[in-house]
Amino acid sequence: MLRTTLRNLAANKLRLLTTGLAVLIGVAFMSGTMILSATMAETMDDMFASAYEGTDALVRSSSVIETPEGTEIRPRIDEAVVDQLAAVDGVAVAQADVWGVAQVIGRDGDPVGQPEMGPPTVGASWPVDELNTWTLEEGRAPAAADEVVIDRKTAEDGGYAAGDRAQVLVNGAPIDVTVSGVVTFAGADSPGGASFSLFTVEAAQQHFGEVGKVDSVSLAAEEGVSQEELVERIAAIVPGGLETITGDEFIQENQDAMAEATAFFDQFMMVFAVVALLVGGFTIFNTFFITVAQRTKQHALMRAIGASRRQVLVSILLEAVVIGIIASAIGLGAGVVIAAGLKAMLTAFGVALPAGGMVFGLGTAVVAFSAGLIVTVVSAVSPARKAGKVPPIAAMRDIEVSSSGYGSKERIMVGVAVLALGAAGLLYGLFGSPSNGLAIVGGSAIVVFFGVSVLGRTVSLPMSRVIGWPLAKSRGIAGHLARQNAMRSPKRTAATAAALMIGVGLVSFITIFASSTKASFNDVIDRAFTGDVVITSPQQFGGSGGMSPELTERVAALPEVETAAGVRGGVVEVDGSVEFLLAADEATFDVFDVEPVAGSPDDLDATSIAVFEDVAQDRGLSVGDTVDAAFVATGPQELTVALIYGENQPAGDWLLGKAAYEANYVDQLDAQIFIKGADGVAQEDVLAAVEAEAAAFPGAKVLDQNEYKAEQLAFVDQMLGLVYAMLALAIIIALLGIGNTLALSIFERTRELGVLRAVGMTRRQLRSTIRWESVIIAVQGAILGLAIGIFFGWALVAALAEEGLTVFAIPVATLVWVVVLAALAGVAAAILPARRAARLDVLRAVVSE
Amino acid sequence: MTITDRSTSDRGVAEVPLAASTVHASKVYGKDATEVRALDDVTVGFETGRFTAIMGPSGSGKSTLLHCIAGLDTLTSGSAYIGETDLSTLDDNHLTVLRRDQVGFVFQAFNLVPTLTADENVTLPLALAGRKGDRDWIDEVVRTVGLEDRLDHRPSELSGGQQQRVAVARALASKPRIIFADEPTGNLDSRSGSDVLQFLRAAVDDFGQTIVMVTHDPVASSYADRIVFLGDGKVVDEMVQPTAERVLDRMKQFGD
Ligand SMILES: Nc1ncnc2c1ncn2[C@@H]1O[C@H](COP(=O)(O)OP(=O)(O)O)[C@@H](O)[C@H]1O
Ligand SMILES: [Mg+2]
Repeated sequence: MLRTTLRNLAANKLRLLTTGLAVLIGVAFMSGTMILSATMAETMDDMFASAYEGTDALVRSSSVIETPEGTEIRPRIDEAVVDQLAAVDGVAVAQADVWGVAQVIGRDGDPVGQPEMGPPTVGASWPVDELNTWTLEEGRAPAAADEVVIDRKTAEDGGYAAGDRAQVLVNGAPIDVTVSGVVTFAGADSPGGASFSLFTVEAAQQHFGEVGKVDSVSLAAEEGVSQEELVERIAAIVPGGLETITGDEFIQENQDAMAEATAFFDQFMMVFAVVALLVGGFTIFNTFFITVAQRTKQHALMRAIGASRRQVLVSILLEAVVIGIIASAIGLGAGVVIAAGLKAMLTAFGVALPAGGMVFGLGTAVVAFSAGLIVTVVSAVSPARKAGKVPPIAAMRDIEVSSSGYGSKERIMVGVAVLALGAAGLLYGLFGSPSNGLAIVGGSAIVVFFGVSVLGRTVSLPMSRVIGWPLAKSRGIAGHLARQNAMRSPKRTAATAAALMIGVGLVSFITIFASSTKASFNDVIDRAFTGDVVITSPQQFGGSGGMSPELTERVAALPEVETAAGVRGGVVEVDGSVEFLLAADEATFDVFDVEPVAGSPDDLDATSIAVFEDVAQDRGLSVGDTVDAAFVATGPQELTVALIYGENQPAGDWLLGKAAYEANYVDQLDAQIFIKGADGVAQEDVLAAVEAEAAAFPGAKVLDQNEYKAEQLAFVDQMLGLVYAMLALAIIIALLGIGNTLALSIFERTRELGVLRAVGMTRRQLRSTIRWESVIIAVQGAILGLAIGIFFGWALVAALAEEGLTVFAIPVATLVWVVVLAALAGVAAAILPARRAARLDVLRAVVSE
Repeated sequence: MTITDRSTSDRGVAEVPLAASTVHASKVYGKDATEVRALDDVTVGFETGRFTAIMGPSGSGKSTLLHCIAGLDTLTSGSAYIGETDLSTLDDNHLTVLRRDQVGFVFQAFNLVPTLTADENVTLPLALAGRKGDRDWIDEVVRTVGLEDRLDHRPSELSGGQQQRVAVARALASKPRIIFADEPTGNLDSRSGSDVLQFLRAAVDDFGQTIVMVTHDPVASSYADRIVFLGDGKVVDEMVQPTAERVLDRMKQFGD
């Protein structure tokens, strides 16, 4: 049996190639993703392990607020504890750690690094010798308040060497410093691409920490004292409100946090790998489905000479297993290339990744390989069963290759039921707010695709008819034949189109989601922002950093400016749940119309808070009520509701006045400054005046309304670019599928193509017939995908209306382009099959056997 | 060499111009040990307005000759002409256009495009040329072959005989210079077969059509005006105004 199977495959190398290619690409992508993740994870793990190599214990505040993103924020602790700890028996050294945000300003005047997208720009204290894991390449350690040591990557990007004068942005304003030294980390120019500015402990406290306070104390034990012993020994003297963990635990914590932070990225990539395999599955199903039909005679003959149904079925499945094994194995190898490609692509998108070799784990090999094998075999099951059902008598009959019709009634019912189930699941996942919403949505989306493909053959016939109609009208006999050919086996056309449907569905869904996001944001700015100019600052990815309030004051004082509202952000725990809040000087609220419903912005003092109407309703709050709030720096506080407002864009759900923010947060930095010009002053003049002030604050960008919108939405386009690049893969696989189906169909139609050629169809006409058939299939897939994508897009946008996605925007022009591109892709997919058909020997067709 | 030259020198009859002809046509398949000489120096002409049958035992080169004159295959040496056109001077594209505009075909089987209706199959060469054709003429042809009420049917809905009649109608529809038929009745029962042969005969008699038909059936060949006998790739004999009996006698002589 295996021998027959292998011989069969060897005889059809082209089929083996095209079928296998779909699996190969899917597997390559999946293993590539996993290799990249593993590589990144290992690099990061190593980095933390070597950074905290000598740390045996760490003491820090035990009070912690975990942001919705999973970051832990702790208040700083009194520095007196450093000396107390140093005195404990068994402690070799106690080091004060100060952390914060600092950004070196390059020689060109622009801040070094892109903290919004990539690794952070960190300000930190220079470690003691015993715990120092930096390698000084040039110069020496910082000794004075205006001396800084920077990593070599930052030095190179900024154009600095040891001894140079430079500027560093701390607390939103530049300070003048001397670069006293340049360091490397574990052989790399910088740890994970992050930018480091290292000051003396005192300078760090002064510039970006708090005077008299440290973030944590790192301890090294004396020879012969284990980490656990050290923790035990210091436990006695550690004051209340502090906690101690071992160095190993600290390393583990950092590694886990990093893994959590990058988990999203891994999932994101995995989704595409799954999509690629899914699309590949359609191609495999289709190929087997067609070749099984073509080999009916052969199977009937096998049955006639005594093969059982099972044996025929097994022979087809064996074929799938062989294809699956070969393709998956090659795919695994190709995964390494893909991983390198993905890495390069991410770097191109601004995500800096450390250099290094690829980590190809056994887990990666097993998972990706089995995924490929399983998809191949499962996709072949239904065609194999069909092959098994071929009666021996079929050997004596002519092969009936085309199957027609709309599909049985049962099939339509099943399809509708599956589709309804998928749609219901999707809507439940989005609107029912279940705990595992994302998984439900993803699963339901697959079910929807599946449902549509079950119904495929029912809708395929009328769709081919309609799509082909203009072709038949305008392209003469070639168009007419193309249309007829697309219609002759709705099952085949539908399955081929389904593969493309998935890619196009996801593309249009993402496009709609993105354009709705943009439209909603623009709508908010148009509605709520009454000003003219905005200043934005380089923010760290988590949201820390910003501009000195001095800039806000100076801008507000300009005669051209009526109001300048500096907006700050932070986290707060309200009645047990952690929330983001914004804050601004209540006197400047008019720049943004928050639509007060009850109370007044004027009443926002150091102990009050404003809340969005809907949230107030949910929590049963009205003006004058109190809420239990807890801040990182100041701990539990009781705040009075002073204002309830009706517009939460962009103000968010909770809002503080200036006094309350100053009372409860350490850093006083404005993330953005919204500016309204004085009456009668032209916008250009406002802009020019503000720009002149902002020039002294590197990184502060002065933008008019449109520029602001574009800047805030730039990430949407960036994400969109990334997603498109990924989905291009699914579309390429689908095109391979179309090409494959066409090639198989042409093989089947040898005779009629011969007749056509004999009675006068030119090669050109023949090629165009095949091309147009391909276009009909592609457009059909694109239209189905579009319909699904619009539904998905609508559902998600509607579900996120509360989060500010208030506008559902269908980018008609873009979606028309998607269909046009699909049609062009169809043309491309047909190139090879059409060429093959045109080269066909006319005589082979007309000479009867 | 002109048409008249060839007519006189090769056939010795100058009255009728030739619709198609070959001069010293040879066709060799394979090489060395496996070499098969399917046509061996064949010089033959087919007069306009006549019904010529090509007969000979199986493997004698009948189909090969037909394919080479019809522009479906190329000769190894010698020339094939449709009218005055030397086929070896044409590239694939011109050959195709020539087949479309000047040649009609009826094959033994698989004549029709399954996705097209009978009517569309009949007008296929015209459609390929982007022409409407002469509708009155097409209607007449369709009526003659008795397909008026089958025009909207697909080939799969037609009997074998009906399918061959559609093929005949298609061959006639574009008024080609010449129609080639390769055992057009080979797959038909005798009734359907004689129907088809009668239509071919009528096309010659009533419309002045030129037809060349390959057959090994003496009855079928008796519909022709003239028979060319092939043997081992050579023209071995001819017969004018044949009857089935004479053909049968002739074949016995060859020991087919
Ligand atoms: N494509 C081919 N390759 C090799 N030999 C061929 C080919 N076609 C025909 N022949 C050989 O050429 C000879 C003539 O064939 P053909 O013209 O089909 O004969 P007929 O139609 O008279 O039965 C036969 O010996 C046949 O085997
Ligand atoms: Mg023959």
